[in-house]
Amino acid sequence: MNRKKLVGLERTHTRTCRIMLIPAFILCFAFVIIPLIDVVRYSFTDWDGIQPQMAFVGFENYRNLPQMEGFKDMLVATFTFAIGMTVITILVSFITALALDKKGRGRMPRNLVRALWFIPSLLSGTVVGILWHIMYNYHNGVVNTVLKTVGLKSVNWLETYVVTNIAIIVAAAWVQIGMCIIIFMAGLQGISADIYEAATIDGATDRQQLWSITVPMMAPSITINVITTTIGAFKAYELPYFISKGMPGYTTLLLTGRISFYAFKAGKYGYGSALAVILVLIIALFSLLELLILRKREDIYG
Amino acid sequence: MNEKKKVTPAVIIEEFILFIFTIVILSPVLYMLLGAFKKRSDIVKHPFQLTKEMFILENFPKAVKNMNFWKALTYTAIITVVSLLIVIIVSSIAGFAIARAKGRLFSAFYGATVSIMVIPFISCLIPCIAQATRLNIYNTLWGCIAYEAAWNIPMAVFLYTGFMRALPGELQDAAYIDGCSTFKVYSTVFLPLLAPVTATTAIRCGVGMWNDYILAKCMLNHVKYPTLMVAIYAFFGDRVNEYGLAFAGIILASLPMIIIYIALQKYFIKGIVAGAVKG
Repeated sequence: MNRKKLVGLERTHTRTCRIMLIPAFILCFAFVIIPLIDVVRYSFTDWDGIQPQMAFVGFENYRNLPQMEGFKDMLVATFTFAIGMTVITILVSFITALALDKKGRGRMPRNLVRALWFIPSLLSGTVVGILWHIMYNYHNGVVNTVLKTVGLKSVNWLETYVVTNIAIIVAAAWVQIGMCIIIFMAGLQGISADIYEAATIDGATDRQQLWSITVPMMAPSITINVITTTIGAFKAYELPYFISKGMPGYTTLLLTGRISFYAFKAGKYGYGSALAVILVLIIALFSLLELLILRKREDIYG
Repeated sequence: MNEKKKVTPAVIIEEFILFIFTIVILSPVLYMLLGAFKKRSDIVKHPFQLTKEMFILENFPKAVKNMNFWKALTYTAIITVVSLLIVIIVSSIAGFAIARAKGRLFSAFYGATVSIMVIPFISCLIPCIAQATRLNIYNTLWGCIAYEAAWNIPMAVFLYTGFMRALPGELQDAAYIDGCSTFKVYSTVFLPLLAPVTATTAIRCGVGMWNDYILAKCMLNHVKYPTLMVAIYAFFGDRVNEYGLAFAGIILASLPMIIIYIALQKYFIKGIVAGAVKG
């Protein structure tokens, strides 16, 4: 094949590939990008969602955000939820993945355990919300029944700000752990056994091996799990909302819960859109920050 | 090989802790599973027991009737299957192009796709409803499918691109030398290799579509086009008293995804390994 023909082939290939992007582009542009532009547009108006006309109000919606009732509670709850859920999920799933990975040791079939741990991840936020709402019930819930059986006092799970937030975090971590374990186990299987063998010959203890081989080698899977879990936490709507219903008052509504509140109950589309823009900015900043920090660590350890 | 048979106290303790952990994680599922076959009073008094005297079956037929199960199942299945087909076709083609062509356009497209993945649907809910009303697709199945598909494409493109980048480039070169067109390379050389990543996409996106509440709730009238999650919340979400009934409804609505997951688990994990960890 001569050079001219090859260059021509390459060019047709690139052209066909460009065409292959078009369907994805059209769908995403029409139904994701345009609404995203619209939400920014609406956030500068006083639209109520019903009347066709809307007035431009500049940054008024944004300026009024801090004056919202319970604004601080909402922000604290949202960030605590995201950070708390990520920390618990990553720790539990990393330790479990390590325990499950010990090749050939133990009696329990690994694939079965992994599949069982994944079941909560298959349930919807709605289902998990309803289930845990029942489980946290003060008089009839199973959580308090178990506490009483082991001799502890019942806890009022869904009626105080701090405890309710913790209750939501536990339920959300319960869902996410299975997914993270699968990714961690995949990462662990990618580490060659030779490295450990060499380290053992050199006299490295188990703990040294964990911190200087396993953790650095797992950096890519840690990055992906941390980022997807935080993003998932900021995005979560049904699960926290259906467990707490915002109780007490509206204080435990997270940012997502507030958006739907202003859109559907209060009829303040403009105001709700300003909140939505803030949510997108928070997620974008947070994931970028995490990516920068974690990628840097990946580079150090290679 | 010798190590395999060695059972030290440390291993036994580790196994025991793992076993306890697994029981703790599974206990809510167990509680729900047992509860679906009991009366409310038995669920409250004996959460983790199921004796012959407690056993009842009537929660299931009652839940089926209350939440209009068969109609909701049909609509949920239609929305999920059609959206998923669109997502798989569109994203595998785009993923192939990104993984197998050089140029700024493709890396920019990939970057944009990955950035879109972080946007929560709920933040665009208001404009989506306004747009659907403008386009006359509000309260239609196609409207719901369009948004469901579009919002899942970024994740699927990400998975497919990662998977196809990991495939050897010689595959494609050989096919070109044989005189194949680009599309033919995609359809005859790459498509047959995509089973694992398609399983991953089907589970990750499909479970999301099946479990979707907010889009179906806002886009569709729940009497005309009920979906499972909307029906569950409508009947068992607020001030639920019949725990057993709610559990039966939840199990019926979640079982299809669990069965599909078990069937596809082997491929799903292969696809995760290639797509997420290396990509």
